[in-house]
Amino acid sequence: MTYMAIPNIGNYTIALATAVESLGIKAWASTATTPEALKLGIAAAPETVCLPLKAHLGHFIEADRAGVEYAFMVNSVGTCRLRYYRHMIEHILKDLGLKIKIFGLGFDGFKPPIVRHFDPGPITFLKPLFHTALKIKVIDKLEVAAWRTRAIEITHGDTTLLMNKLLVELSESKTMARTRAIRKKVAGCFAEIPVDKEKKPLKVGLVGEISFLRDKCLNKNIEYILGSQGIELRNFFLLGEELKNITRIVFLNQNKRKYLSKVADRYLQCTVGGHALDSVAHSIHCADEGYDGMIHLCPSGCMPEVSVRPILKRVSKDKDIPILEMSYDEHTCDVGISTRLEAFADVLMERRKKQPARPSRGEGN
Amino acid sequence: MIMIKRLHKSVGVYIDMGNQFLKNISPEWMWKSGHYSGSSLRIGIPRMFFYYIYPDLWETFFGELGMEPVVSRPSTRKTVEKASQISETEHCLPNKLFDAHLAEVVGKVDMVFVPRVLSTIKNHLSCPKFGPLPDAARADIARGTEVLSIDIDENKRPLSKTLLLLGKKLNIQKSKTLSAIKSAFIAMESANKKMVLLNKKKGKPRFLLVGHPYVIHDNFIAGPILSKLESMGVEVELISFADDTPAKSYILWSTANKIYHKLNTLSSEDYDGVIQLTVFNCGCDSMMIDTYRQLVKDKNVPYMYLMVDEHLAQSGIDTRVEAFIDSLRWRG
Repeated sequence: MTYMAIPNIGNYTIALATAVESLGIKAWASTATTPEALKLGIAAAPETVCLPLKAHLGHFIEADRAGVEYAFMVNSVGTCRLRYYRHMIEHILKDLGLKIKIFGLGFDGFKPPIVRHFDPGPITFLKPLFHTALKIKVIDKLEVAAWRTRAIEITHGDTTLLMNKLLVELSESKTMARTRAIRKKVAGCFAEIPVDKEKKPLKVGLVGEISFLRDKCLNKNIEYILGSQGIELRNFFLLGEELKNITRIVFLNQNKRKYLSKVADRYLQCTVGGHALDSVAHSIHCADEGYDGMIHLCPSGCMPEVSVRPILKRVSKDKDIPILEMSYDEHTCDVGISTRLEAFADVLMERRKKQPARPSRGEGN
Repeated sequence: MIMIKRLHKSVGVYIDMGNQFLKNISPEWMWKSGHYSGSSLRIGIPRMFFYYIYPDLWETFFGELGMEPVVSRPSTRKTVEKASQISETEHCLPNKLFDAHLAEVVGKVDMVFVPRVLSTIKNHLSCPKFGPLPDAARADIARGTEVLSIDIDENKRPLSKTLLLLGKKLNIQKSKTLSAIKSAFIAMESANKKMVLLNKKKGKPRFLLVGHPYVIHDNFIAGPILSKLESMGVEVELISFADDTPAKSYILWSTANKIYHKLNTLSSEDYDGVIQLTVFNCGCDSMMIDTYRQLVKDKNVPYMYLMVDEHLAQSGIDTRVEAFIDSLRWRG
């Protein structure tokens, strides 16, 4: 069986693994970068590049050691360093003497080279893609349900256990019918978890760089830490939403970015690159919706995200919403992160006690 | 200045309804710039990024328009100390210095000029950090001061048209703007020619110093290295960014593309060595340095790269530059 290594983007890797089946091969991936892979990547990459590159590189080196022949890396058309990732990873792997072959999504004539190379039949190609779209929808649903339930669960860990169980089921599901069945039972399963309905959890939005929003190893499992502090999260990277946006751009010429730039217009008048505009726009939006705080995640020295930080500080002052800026590098340790998050949660809790009558405009309607 | 302020109170606000570019401009500022363009409107220009990308252009342009350009002083150790206090901690060194330069001119001037440099060559992009510069300035350091900004985007319009638009935004007659553009371009051309060579002699080892324009011309970052090279009597050529024809490569960042092109067409007969100057936390260089090194290695030209951060010390630079040049002399 031929295997292909794909980059990790958190739980969505499960869905993307199904997409790889459209080429008639199997995916080699995990839902989070392993610490060993990260070490390999750090050793091989230049020291000053950003952490996601090191994570991806380490992942591919590990894949090559496991005997994987092919790898897939995303293409970006943006202004930031992500654009050059594939080129750089290719070069480094070549220098290391590894034989793994990396594909991008670039078009070469009508078919992308990746499709031409494996040349699957039309039915083999299309069916898994529909399945992937369905799985992405299910994972979106799971994520949203988990953020809400984890904050108010009575026994700690219930939500995470259920989530893991459903994700395993989902990754084992081979037919669309089964995936649909899982989608149907998601709401019921989460409703069974005993919760404290009286509790009004703090609401916090997560914005920033996408691999840090999604990869549990890179962000040191920030969703779990915050959830067990009794904080209801909203992570602003949902792959389903992003894909929906892309389809809208292609078919309806409606870009969500246009709306976001309208929201952020007072503070930021250009798209910068990466998800910097989204960070600013979502922070403003959350402040208006009555969120208790925001957390901005990015790798140390991330070009777009760091450059909007002065703007985020101004938003924080103007809109009276605390924004915690977290930057990660290879020396970031779990304990340091959880200490900071706990302190932030305490601050938010005290803040809420002091202003109990804070209007939350989002809740009523 | 005092006279203008007094006049402003008595005369009131002059609004030219025909000019659509004035919609976004506050009335007070519009009045100041509008029909008193001959007066001493002071415009602050931070000596960083766009100042070095377009050398001498901005002072000449604003000077010709009848304003008084106030350029911040060349960066020194004090600038860096100031920068470390006021700037965002994770910015690259030039961006920190930019904040300090901006803080220097804010308060001394009527408005500061921070353009949004999106692209300097057609079909290419600038560093993404240039995008939010005016917004960040408005949000933080230049708060309370009018920030004059314009999009410099060669993909949309050439620089001369951008300048024309800037003149229109300032409510200045078109003929005056055109003559200002002409003299500004001449000034930029001569400045570009001036900046490239150090210790011009023949028969001496010749070095190429590469790096972003705002790195190799900055007093704090490149000063110690240039003075050392000068005192050692070696001929050094600073990479020129004047040529606007981009090379075909996978690199879309305009300055990185030009450096790549220069190193790609380099021959070992022309240069005895290449010194790459880079700054701490520079995103573009972090991706490109390996490519550059490989290019130069293939041409059999010695290559050294120096990374400068806030704690730059002359002695450290001296040791490394001396060692590099000595090893080249022994190489024969």
